[in-house]
Amino acid sequence: MDARLEDPAAVQIVAEPREAARGRRHLLWWRLASIALFCGAWEIAGRVPINLAFPTFSATVAAFAEMVRDGSMLKAYLLTLQPLIIGLVVSAVVGISVGVAMGLRKSVEWMAAPVFIVLQAAPVAAVIPMVTFVYGIGLTAKVISVCLLALPVIVLNSYKAVANVNPSLINMCRSFLGSRWQQILKIILPDASPVIFAGLRLGISAGFIGIILAELLITPTGIGDLITYHRAVANYAHMYAAIASIIVFSAATLSLLQWVEERWIRPEKKRS
Amino acid sequence: MNMRITGPRGPLMAGLIILASLGWSGVASAASQVRVAFGDIATVESLNFLIALERAKERGVDVEVTFFKSEDIAAQAVVSGDADIGVGTPYALVQKVKAPIRMFYQMSALRFFPIVNTEYYKTWKDLDGQEIAVHSRGSGTEAIMKLMAQKNGITYSNISYVPGSEVRAGALLQGNIKASIVDSTNKKLIMEKAPGKFAVLPMEGVNATDEALYANTDFLKEQSEAVEVLVEELLKTWREINANPKVVADLRKKYNLLADLPADLEGEVVPYYEESVATGAFPSNGGDEAAAKDDFAFYALAGQIEGDPASLKVADFWTFEPLKNAQAKVGTQ
Repeated sequence: MDARLEDPAAVQIVAEPREAARGRRHLLWWRLASIALFCGAWEIAGRVPINLAFPTFSATVAAFAEMVRDGSMLKAYLLTLQPLIIGLVVSAVVGISVGVAMGLRKSVEWMAAPVFIVLQAAPVAAVIPMVTFVYGIGLTAKVISVCLLALPVIVLNSYKAVANVNPSLINMCRSFLGSRWQQILKIILPDASPVIFAGLRLGISAGFIGIILAELLITPTGIGDLITYHRAVANYAHMYAAIASIIVFSAATLSLLQWVEERWIRPEKKRS
Repeated sequence: MNMRITGPRGPLMAGLIILASLGWSGVASAASQVRVAFGDIATVESLNFLIALERAKERGVDVEVTFFKSEDIAAQAVVSGDADIGVGTPYALVQKVKAPIRMFYQMSALRFFPIVNTEYYKTWKDLDGQEIAVHSRGSGTEAIMKLMAQKNGITYSNISYVPGSEVRAGALLQGNIKASIVDSTNKKLIMEKAPGKFAVLPMEGVNATDEALYANTDFLKEQSEAVEVLVEELLKTWREINANPKVVADLRKKYNLLADLPADLEGEVVPYYEESVATGAFPSNGGDEAAAKDDFAFYALAGQIEGDPASLKVADFWTFEPLKNAQAKVGTQ
């Protein structure tokens, strides 16, 4: 007879992964059901219709497929992603560096905190047209629009993360005669990383808002152009397809970032 | 004050609120007020329309104008019943969405001016293989430039989109773009700021509606009297302006329109209307079937209308009944 079956603790250990797998399957079904419910409600709302300009879900999917086939969707994404990626990389590098510096040094905090707090509170859609006065209507203006939205969130989260590091961990480092660099690299940054990552995710979603605002308010390019053009020529299914695609793309990017964080950078998060 | 719907009366109250909100749109559209949706802010260029509206008000038509951010949003307001009359050219909306709206008055014809930097180009042929800038994809400015390219047997290397005549005028003056198309106000501005540096390319045979009035077909039937009064006043005002563009400044003062207009813009009122009248921007008879057919050809090129323009029926887009009734009273020119 298998020894594990005689030991209640061992049985529990074997049972737990099965429970977890069943739970995950349940969760997957609930998620799929939620998506199906949303798509079904959309289809019905389009067939009623709630508005003449509101397309059905199936017409939107067909419009999406058409734009993928004729290459306009891919072309639009390539144009939108260029300022978005540049803006997000700049925001991530500058944002985390400035935020961490603010958390480590009071002088930097006093100098930079008010700027980013004001920027975070500002209604950026009203500021973007001003960007065009200084930087024109090209790539720079769009990158700046992305940074305007993404940077404050990343900076302030990184700053709060570093400022709120557990003091007893720092004291422990001191009592082990750790240098300032060891303190930063081995204690402060690892302890602050969950909040820094949360800030990074929020910053990326803000960056998506920034690029679409820029493409709608400055010059219509990429996805902003698809939305503006199809609205102007009353191809509403195509317009909704462009809007829905950028929402799904943004959500998928954030999920991917979370997966990368759990899989490669902070595997302990998943276990906990 | 905090109000909570609780107890057995809760569902009843909630039901009443839902019924009230559902009934709201019906009550609003049944009112005799005529709600006009204008897809732009009120500027010097909309003074003629505002004057005609004031005159319709004097004759007892209760007009209320709402200014929207764009023509698309104004059109949506008309389609959803939040407004009665819209201003624009909703050909795409009528054809593709089958919206039950019809245009009934042609207010202005498209008047744009292709402008080139003479350092680089002097004629249409010079633009072969070159880059130009227009308002947006599917816009009238793009259609004009494409039409002229067809007529002159040239192709552009690239068309870039820069929304706003004033933005394109600024970019031309700064040298960021070398060929574009702007409205009459900005053409004048460019010629004044950099005399001799730019040239207007000749443009013939481009006839299309810039702004028309449109409304729901039900509204046109139910409020036919109010619509006819409005159309009569539009015809009279347009003819008065065509005969003497200077009258706009006097009428602006009389009806106290755009009261907070800055002094430098005030000086632009008469020149703008003189130039527009000279280029025939304001039709004296409010449009006709021939003008609608010209629109089909033009807006098909712009991508607004699908299919062969020759096979389209004017009655699917326009109704000339209010115009004919008004013309019977004020005559034609």
